[in-house]
Amino acid sequence: MVVSASPILSIRNVSKSFPGVKALDRVSMDVLPGEVHALLGENGAGKSTLMKIISGIIPKDSGEILLDGKPVHFSSPRDALKAGIALVQQELSLVPYLSIAENVFLGRWPKKGIQVDWETIVSETRRLLERFGIQEDPRTPVGSLSVAEQQMVEILKAVSRPNVRILLLDEPTSALSEEEVNRLFELISEIKKTGIGIIFISHKLNEALRIADRVTVLRDGQKVVTEEASRLDERMLFEYLTGKPVAFSETTYEGDHTGANVVLSLENFSAGGFVRDVTLRIHEGEVFVLFGLVGSGRSTLARGLFGLERIEGKVILGGQVIKPRNPKEAITLGIGYLPEDRRNALVYELPVFANITLAILSLVSRRGILRIREEMHLANDFVRSLRIKTPHVFREVLYLSGGNQQKVLLARWLARKPRILIMDEPTRGIDVGAKFEIREMVRDLARQGLTILYITSEPIEALEVADRIAVMRNGRIARIFEYPKDVDKTMLLAIASGVS
Amino acid sequence: MSQNRVLVWRGGDLVSLLLKGGSLVGLIALSAVFAVLSPYFFTLSNWLNIFRQVAVVLIAASAQTMVIITAGIDLSVGSVLALGGCLAAVAMSYWGWPFASGALLGLFFATLAGLANGAIIAKGKIPDFIATLGMLGAVRGIALLITGGLPVPSHFTATKLAGYLPESIVWLGSGHLGGIPVPMIFALLVVGVTWFILNRTTFGRSLYAVGGNREAARAAGIDVDRVKIFVYGVSGLYCGFAGLVLVGRMNSANALMAEGLELQTIAAVVIGGTNLFGGKGSVFGTLIGAILMGVLSNGLNLLNVEPFWQRVVNGLLIVAVVVFDQWRRRIVRD
Repeated sequence: MVVSASPILSIRNVSKSFPGVKALDRVSMDVLPGEVHALLGENGAGKSTLMKIISGIIPKDSGEILLDGKPVHFSSPRDALKAGIALVQQELSLVPYLSIAENVFLGRWPKKGIQVDWETIVSETRRLLERFGIQEDPRTPVGSLSVAEQQMVEILKAVSRPNVRILLLDEPTSALSEEEVNRLFELISEIKKTGIGIIFISHKLNEALRIADRVTVLRDGQKVVTEEASRLDERMLFEYLTGKPVAFSETTYEGDHTGANVVLSLENFSAGGFVRDVTLRIHEGEVFVLFGLVGSGRSTLARGLFGLERIEGKVILGGQVIKPRNPKEAITLGIGYLPEDRRNALVYELPVFANITLAILSLVSRRGILRIREEMHLANDFVRSLRIKTPHVFREVLYLSGGNQQKVLLARWLARKPRILIMDEPTRGIDVGAKFEIREMVRDLARQGLTILYITSEPIEALEVADRIAVMRNGRIARIFEYPKDVDKTMLLAIASGVS
Repeated sequence: MSQNRVLVWRGGDLVSLLLKGGSLVGLIALSAVFAVLSPYFFTLSNWLNIFRQVAVVLIAASAQTMVIITAGIDLSVGSVLALGGCLAAVAMSYWGWPFASGALLGLFFATLAGLANGAIIAKGKIPDFIATLGMLGAVRGIALLITGGLPVPSHFTATKLAGYLPESIVWLGSGHLGGIPVPMIFALLVVGVTWFILNRTTFGRSLYAVGGNREAARAAGIDVDRVKIFVYGVSGLYCGFAGLVLVGRMNSANALMAEGLELQTIAAVVIGGTNLFGGKGSVFGTLIGAILMGVLSNGLNLLNVEPFWQRVVNGLLIVAVVVFDQWRRRIVRD
């Protein structure tokens, strides 16, 4: 990083209010050429608002934005793009049926006469792909690429514009596996070399520390700190983010459960034609972690148990051989499932209470008629005990933060009192504070006797919550650790990625 | 990402009121305009007339509300209404069936047509509008076959007994109870029942869940197919009942009655604020929507506007309301 260089982009005392909320309060930051500047904050801290202002999506109330020292004013994303500020959002905006090359040059295809100059498009794209070390044919349709590759195409599309100075990356790693994150970071390092300044928005602390030169932390709309990444560690960042001192619990292992009753046992289990030969036993009151990278088959296994995938082999739940064919059967048998993607489980337009009772409608009704009072009572109890932040239970789930949405789902299954609860990446996409809270809840629930199958691709998380850990790779169980104390992060990752 | 999902508009200012209670405000404004333009508009007898005319649409629109909440759409409401009405009328007037059994026959087959809609959609995995569009044509055809294309009862059908419709059905369609039109009472009853279904039953909750997020509903153990089949069955039943009311009001049935009802019901539902894409809506909104449409057509009649214009207005109204609704959502969201 060139410290002496003058910043490309300076934000000076920018404020923004929404009715009832001061989203940004005199925030300043700058971005130097060739710098990766991480912007961190919990949900609601203001990072998305700041990003939207910089990229011209919404106007600022006051303050100024300087580009190369000159004040600029953007009234639309188009203005910002013209000035050289490109935004890559979480939701990708590629056309799946068009090729990589066509997507990269979408809307500005070079012409030869009145015809599109395909040769130039393809050769230019090939040059870009090579320069940034991506091995793909420019003519490949984007729809056949993985999410990670699509994201890289999106980034290439942004930096391929001739005048790009600033690249805004909004939570680019949220859908990526560890390995894909590595590739993305390589790409980012390459882009840095061209002198483009990068703002990297994230709530993953370790990733921010890895890739960033400097880090700015926002909390409640105010800037807390801007600091060189090399002078920070995760603990300090966590304190900046939450404003609270850290109370990391070291591993929570609470003794051997293998003497307890077996709740779920799988013998030569296979699911979805991908997961094979899985044999394992989960005991009562145990947190059994299924660790694996994206694509290792962990979710397929879970979906199989919940009746969402074709399964074979023997599944014994509470001593009874079962074969759930759909979620309804699985639920009746006593299986609860929090899917990897909350969007597949929440009905956003329904209020909190209705989402909580959705899986127990038959229990809060008599002959099909709901007993509303009972429903409210139950919902209020869970809002209190799980500390779900909502003004009241009639609030649509849509308006809750990610962490609170996840708690609503957790409440849904706790209300059902399942024999086994499968939690697939329950802390993905929620802010740090809620992350720790949910992990702690998992431990509490296990202590109260709930059996949990916990799926994660974050090694630290696995070590923190687990009583036992099974590592999955390529649809099989690669290894089961009986005592998580004997393993560490590197070992988990090594086995999961097949290095050892 | 999601921090700015704060509702920008809070009660108090006029814009917010307009955005939230759009249909009610629209209804009042429209009524005011007509009241100024026509001295007859704000009379009791005119309002009772409006309600009598709205009743049939309102009953079918209540069903349409439930269907649209599941992110479906029932284009066959008019045809199914005609089928139920014609069957009942034929049974009563030509076969000499008493009111009750004739009515049950009509309701039964209307419900059956609805269930068929649902089964085709759920089991055949076909988009709702395709299945019900097919049913719109097919069922109308069956109604024509049953009646031979003639009004029922008809004095032209020499070979058949040219009977009369029983008193009961005429009462249902055009009777009065304490000065209030009977069809209006029944329509309001249907609205009440629909409200109860939507807000107080597990079935109603399932409708919202299925329409709001089909995958999520399934993952919570709701039998999505069954809900779909059932809601179309209920729609058929409602339309059958609307058919009886309409036959009673006209003192006659014919296979081509209630053509274009799908458009009217969809308009009432959408004006009432129910989300055309499912998951959100209320039957009271539909009540307002239906009355607004009734007021519109009544007012245009009073002002001697050619009735054909009403179709133009109704069609444009649907599009305008959806456009307005999308615009409102954008504003309210960010």
